Amino acid sequence: MRVSFPYMGSTIVYGKLLELLGHQVVMPEPPTRKTVDLGVKYSPEFACFPFKVIMGTYLETLERGVELFVTTGGQGPCRAGFYGELHKKIIQNMGYDVDFIVLDPPWRDYEKFFRQILTLKGDNSWFKVAEVIHTVYKMCKSVDIIEKLITTVRAYAGDRAALNRSWRDILTAYSQIETARDVARVEEEALRVIEKYDIKLPPQEKRIRIGIVGEIYVVMEPSINGNIEEILNSLGAETERSLYLSTYIDETIFPWIGRKEKKKLIKKASGYIDLNIGGHARLSVGQIVDFKDRGFDGVIHLKPFACLPELISESMLEKLSADLDMPILSLSIDEQTAEANIMTRLDAFVDFIKYGKAYSKERVSLSV
Amino acid sequence: MKIGIPRSLLYYYYYPFWQTLFAELGNEVVVSDPTSGDQLNEGVKESVSEICVPMKVHIGQVLNLLEKGVDLIYIPRFVSIRRGITFCPKFLGLPDMIKNSIAAVRGKILTHEIRAKTDDISAYKNYTIFRDIFRVSKGELKKALEAARQNWLKFRALQQEGYKTEKLLLGEKEKREEGLLKIGVLGYVYNLYDRFINMDFLDRLEELGAKIVTFEMLDGDIVDRFIKNLRKPMFWEFTNRLMAAGYHFINSADIDGIIHITAFGCGPDSILGPFLEIDAGQKNKPFMTLRIDEQTGESHLITRIEAFLDLLKLKKRSDIA
Ligand code: SF4
Ligand code: SF4
Repeated sequence: MRVSFPYMGSTIVYGKLLELLGHQVVMPEPPTRKTVDLGVKYSPEFACFPFKVIMGTYLETLERGVELFVTTGGQGPCRAGFYGELHKKIIQNMGYDVDFIVLDPPWRDYEKFFRQILTLKGDNSWFKVAEVIHTVYKMCKSVDIIEKLITTVRAYAGDRAALNRSWRDILTAYSQIETARDVARVEEEALRVIEKYDIKLPPQEKRIRIGIVGEIYVVMEPSINGNIEEILNSLGAETERSLYLSTYIDETIFPWIGRKEKKKLIKKASGYIDLNIGGHARLSVGQIVDFKDRGFDGVIHLKPFACLPELISESMLEKLSADLDMPILSLSIDEQTAEANIMTRLDAFVDFIKYGKAYSKERVSLSV
Repeated sequence: MKIGIPRSLLYYYYYPFWQTLFAELGNEVVVSDPTSGDQLNEGVKESVSEICVPMKVHIGQVLNLLEKGVDLIYIPRFVSIRRGITFCPKFLGLPDMIKNSIAAVRGKILTHEIRAKTDDISAYKNYTIFRDIFRVSKGELKKALEAARQNWLKFRALQQEGYKTEKLLLGEKEKREEGLLKIGVLGYVYNLYDRFINMDFLDRLEELGAKIVTFEMLDGDIVDRFIKNLRKPMFWEFTNRLMAAGYHFINSADIDGIIHITAFGCGPDSILGPFLEIDAGQKNKPFMTLRIDEQTGESHLITRIEAFLDLLKLKKRSDIA
């Protein structure tokens, strides 16, 4: 059976899992302008932007003969928990003959969950399944380490274009791994490649570090957020996101792993958002505080246009920024977002931070 | 104390409860003025731009109460009134948003979580903080809650008998008009009964000869049973109720058509809408979506309603013939 899945920052995860389990995987392509237009055309006007983009990638991969889509349903309380059902409804109503497996958390309907897992498991032994999950998990952790390194050193790279090419090659190498040993090998190789660029980090007080928080899809997916990290790096700022592949897996498959970190963030958010209101809003706020605590110079808050929970966090950014004495820039992303506009705002934001840094140093020297 | 209640959101579902409760506890209850253009503009200024209209209305109402000089503004956090189902994220984060975005209200908000198994929200455990705030004994608080409950149940019963919600809230009793066409109207209470933001759309429908049915007029069992049988209910309480009512209307032979009234920027409705629209289409039930925002043009709205009713009349004639 030809299987595919939604395009999300986590493509490599889904792809690897299904491939190593022996399914015939149709890899979705990163969304382009055309994908977005297609998705917008067949989605309800007020659906969230991620819904529309995923719709677009579904329709594109359908042309390549997909028989089954696998996706996660999630437990809410946000809209993403319903994406799968609604995509299915609309796509089947368009006349396509395709099946959907919408994986809901097991406690909703244990039997159904088990049946779905059996379909995906195919003829593999449970031992094999465990091994595959282990390998993929290792891979994610490893990709995350390398990516964080890239978004740090890229801010100071002389030949940024070459470094980007190397980064793409590294990702390709990851996508070809088959065992945990391969992962270790690719990681070593990647470190060696980056080493060769011989990039020196400036002294601590001169570094500009910007945190990126917000809704998972727009935070994780460069082809959707206009490559925001690359742009910031090119402006001389290092970046770190609130969410990485492994955070995503921890949340969907191993919720107990990230529990301690989560508790910490919830505590930091208290007084601002005191309840899980859906999506990552509460954690986003916690992460903003956390970035400040870790000495970051500014935060960018990203959300799809009219995103429910992130609108609540957006409503308190002014207060957060004043309370923390740290600039925060909020950007909404949807099909009408112009890249030039984002570019200009990021440029101004980084300038503002640079100016503030210079200014506060002056103040320090004056007071001595 | 003077307790302010914003005339927005669940005011249109729980006001009889709140009014009795606060009065029984010895307070003066002040409701904000009906929504107006100026008031909404103030709300818009204090809101994040992309948020749904009902939230902007709400913020306007809160600001209006501040002007009236109330001691506390009541903004409960509705978490759940059904097992496993919550409210829209904006309700869940409502007090957080208000207190962290409007500096002037800090220290003036009365908030607490509401978690219940049904829409009867009178369980004592949700209100324990009231004892200190209003200096009452457990017994007094329980008595006030029971009185509030009785009053609210009466209100719910009258709704189901077909009395107009908008009138009941003002203490008046008036039955819904009869009409040639029976229209199922789907919408959250704060969109259905705020005459300013919906431009009196219910009255307009009735003037044009429609008999209106809304979700609160349905027998509670219909809704509960439907939600229980859904393999995967929505996460949001009132969206589920609209879904239940929606499918009930789709499958009721005596409903001539369905109008879904939804606010610009409503997330849950963007999911609910397509389900109902696709299935109404398959069952050949006329379905129309009306979207309201800060500046919906009145004439435009009326034209659309008229056109829809004309279509229903034609259909009815041809069905009979
Ligand atoms: S978090 Fe935002 S983007 Fe995600 S489902 Fe909810 S509204 Fe949509
Ligand atoms: S349900 Fe819709 S209209 Fe109501 S608060 Fe949520 S987003 Fe706004």
